[in-house]
Amino acid sequence: MSQSSLVAMESVGAQRATATWENGSLAPLDHLRSERADSPTPGLVEGTEPGAGQQSAMFVHSQSFEDLTADAEDKTESKNSEEECEGKLDELVEEEAIEEQCNNMSLESRSREEDVSSEAWRSHKKHVFVLSEAGKPIYTRYGTEEALSSTMGVMMALVSFVEAKKNIIRSIHADGCKVVFLTRSPLVLVGVSRTWQSDKELLRELQYIYYQIVSLLTLTQLNHIFQHKQNYDLRRLLAGSEYLTDNLLHRLDRDPGLLLSAVTCLPLPSSARDVVSSSLQAAKSKNLVFSILLAGDRLVTLVRKKDQFLHHIDLHLVFNLVGSSSSFREGEGWTPICLPKFNTAGFFHAHISYLEPTSELCLILISTDREDFFNMSDCKQRILERLSKRSAYQTMKEALQCPSYSVVQVGIPELRHFLYKSKSSGLYTSPQFPEVYQSDQEQERLMGLYQDLHSFLHHPSRPLRSFYRCGETENLLAQVTSGFELYLCFSPLGTKALADSAVIKLLKWIRKEEDRLFILNPLTY
Amino acid sequence: MSTRKASLTDKQTKNGTSKYVLERCASINEYYDIAFKVMLLGDSAVGKTCILVRFKDGAFLGGNFIATVGIDFRNKVVDVDNLKVKLQIWDTAGQERFRSVTHAYYRDAQALLLLYDITSKQSFDNIRAWLTEIHEYAQKDVVIMLLGNKSDMAAERVVKTEEGQRLAKDYGVPFMETSAKTGVNVELAFLAVAKELKHRATQQPNEPKFQIHDYIESQKQKSGCCSTV
Repeated sequence: MSQSSLVAMESVGAQRATATWENGSLAPLDHLRSERADSPTPGLVEGTEPGAGQQSAMFVHSQSFEDLTADAEDKTESKNSEEECEGKLDELVEEEAIEEQCNNMSLESRSREEDVSSEAWRSHKKHVFVLSEAGKPIYTRYGTEEALSSTMGVMMALVSFVEAKKNIIRSIHADGCKVVFLTRSPLVLVGVSRTWQSDKELLRELQYIYYQIVSLLTLTQLNHIFQHKQNYDLRRLLAGSEYLTDNLLHRLDRDPGLLLSAVTCLPLPSSARDVVSSSLQAAKSKNLVFSILLAGDRLVTLVRKKDQFLHHIDLHLVFNLVGSSSSFREGEGWTPICLPKFNTAGFFHAHISYLEPTSELCLILISTDREDFFNMSDCKQRILERLSKRSAYQTMKEALQCPSYSVVQVGIPELRHFLYKSKSSGLYTSPQFPEVYQSDQEQERLMGLYQDLHSFLHHPSRPLRSFYRCGETENLLAQVTSGFELYLCFSPLGTKALADSAVIKLLKWIRKEEDRLFILNPLTY
Repeated sequence: MSTRKASLTDKQTKNGTSKYVLERCASINEYYDIAFKVMLLGDSAVGKTCILVRFKDGAFLGGNFIATVGIDFRNKVVDVDNLKVKLQIWDTAGQERFRSVTHAYYRDAQALLLLYDITSKQSFDNIRAWLTEIHEYAQKDVVIMLLGNKSDMAAERVVKTEEGQRLAKDYGVPFMETSAKTGVNVELAFLAVAKELKHRATQQPNEPKFQIHDYIESQKQKSGCCSTV
């Protein structure tokens, strides 16, 4: 942070930003969508921004990320407390870990094995621990749970100690290190971070991990287990799923969709997408709730039962499940999955299969019935038959060859990369990383910068509406209106004036391309 | 042929998930005469998916262990006495949290391949629990076969061949040791099951009963020359 100068443009109070953006020249160029142009402030009012769906949204409508942390905060605020202790937790943790290490040598078999007393273990940028309220280890990102059982015991002790005084521990800020606590009975999640992310951002990530666990077991089952046996070792039930949590954490560091609470689409001509959507729509079944077609990490289309909405968190959990396991590559998978934002009490059942063994196109059919496998299998067959007769199938396969686009197409010389989220559709678009951000390291660094900007725009007490930041390696601009969220990355030679004009230019370009980049006509059965 | 078809369609269940799916999907998939559902069961990491991949694609899934999620469904058509038999194979996840899903599909299965890992005592000890579950949820006349997998790992063996044999005898089920890595007995396990099912489905009253035990004994390869007897 020290190497860059910060310029916060306008800071709006805690109330929702009422944008008075001077430029009104965002009328869509497309005459066909004249009714959208009638809006007095196109692009600013929610629902008229580029990428907004024309009928109804596909997802549960949400104020992006506020709703994620909202319940966590309600809970804490209701107890009216905020506990921030300056402490030397690292030292505490270290001592305990070393002790444990001495009497625990049976960990050789785990590939995640790592000496938890080593400097390397300690210097990981972000640790995540999950434990039960009895203090039993459930998950650790690095090392093994066994080796960390006393460390987790200490964490639980901290939580209980503060709780005993009718208070809640939220975070500890130690030297260069943040420890964030999230209590979600019957689980406790702890994040230890050396990044610049705010507490709120870290909590959001812990929430994702919590939902990941719920999606495997349901909250009902979780509660049931711990009501009957407080010291149950939950790893027994989660065995074989650690890689899902590992992968989700990896995504949280890299995937803008998780940051923006949005999903990105495979760029596809809208005519082709509509054909694909209607093929999915035509294969309905009594208990089928959602049909989702993915191309890697990109959404091709989503068809849902009328009045049923999928939350982006649930969709990301589905993405994570599909993306993390190669076991769906062949044959047809059938698995229970709880979609926690939809219902934490029960399982849906997902039929997961690739349209062709070598293709990236993965079809997910979500049913409410445990015994619906053959019906879903039949739906898949029907979709495949219908699709293979249409030229749109070929178009889609061609689109898979170049699932992204270059930022050069936008035609703004100093622009290197951007993230644009249409709030009302819950979809975002972003070009591929340019030359300068080719390495994993550089990409994660850029994501880190976006995360910083995101923290500023969504600061709990002082949210910013616009934020410009000059750095040595790049200049960044972030902007939020009620309709969209935009993050731009410019070369360090760019100026603020250029950045401001780029916003308008970019929005025009997205409006022009929105047919291809977004799903404008989401369908229902 | 026509008599068989008639007798089989009687057994079709109402919701379209027929037990013997005759000629359905024949245009899309490979052609077949008769179809059966086979399920792979056993603890996590005993090699259920590996056995299946070996049988289906003749390959070995080396490298990292990838846990199956829920149930994985694949088809393979085999020739049994000049009849095309389609095996619909359910590869199940061994993890505890998926038990309730797998239970739901037990009763559809006509054959169960129950696996343990010869290098894991626990997976062998759990076989009795698996058999109890099978008796609770599966069809009464389901074909069960016990397989001791990973027979190539002689150095790490902790379950003797005789122990497997004894257990199988107690329950009256056929038994053999397999190796997904080398392919020993993998094909045989599936073929024996296919033969048994095919004989059951097409048996004429005067025809002698197919003896799966004898067939296996006559066909199976002993697991490695250095097996401790």
